[in-house]
Amino acid sequence: MWLQMIISFFLLLSAFGIVLCKRPLYSALFFLATLLELGVLYLTLSAEFIAVMQILVYAGAILVIFVFVIVLFQDAHAQIEKFSPRVSRSLCLIAFSCFAISLVYLISHLHGTVHTQELFQGFGQVSSIGESLYTMFFFPFEATLVLFLVAIIGAIYLAKKES
Amino acid sequence: MNLSYLICVSLALFSIGILGVLIRRNALVLFLSIEIMLNAANLLFVEFSFSWGDERGLIWVFFVLIVAAMEAAVGLALIIQLFRKTHSVDVDQYLLE
Repeated sequence: MWLQMIISFFLLLSAFGIVLCKRPLYSALFFLATLLELGVLYLTLSAEFIAVMQILVYAGAILVIFVFVIVLFQDAHAQIEKFSPRVSRSLCLIAFSCFAISLVYLISHLHGTVHTQELFQGFGQVSSIGESLYTMFFFPFEATLVLFLVAIIGAIYLAKKES
Repeated sequence: MNLSYLICVSLALFSIGILGVLIRRNALVLFLSIEIMLNAANLLFVEFSFSWGDERGLIWVFFVLIVAAMEAAVGLALIIQLFRKTHSVDVDQYLLE
């Protein structure tokens, strides 16, 4: 419980770091911190497989592409000026009101308690998730392969230089 | 187990993502903020999966991870193409004709 509180505090802190840091590379590093904290939070919620996948896919694949692209555009980042404070404040107010509205909705619908079910043996482990993926979720799992193929073709087509 | 506290955390994370999309003009940071929002949804999935003892939430997190990876690949290719046209990463410079 205490571990979760501490981790979520740092999670929100590093998420603010992503948004408020002026340099995009620092934002990417704060994103890495956010991912690691989320991984620990998943571990405390007994989702080991998802925690490992989170680190592998996000930190290993997505973040590396991000850092490549950030470094590629190195000179262009400095050109962007700060937002004018008046507009920025009203936009902050919009984001905060989104949070407030969802919080009010949560409080009015949750009635104080969420009862926790007993977890079965091997919950969140590779074996039980893999079994579900290949039985109950077989069609969506195979459909993601087609989606992957389309994404690869699309990315190559888009990144190609026009001749 | 106080789950409502963790639900508030994921709501806050989603709102931070919204804030990033609204106030930042750098296309790459904007994209990172979208990833924060995806992560907030994932966190909510894991929390409810834990609280109900149902593993299907974790499998949907797996699919969301896959979609996020593909989104990053295609989205960054788009940003590279926009950068070649305008020589800027400022989203205000991107004019769609």
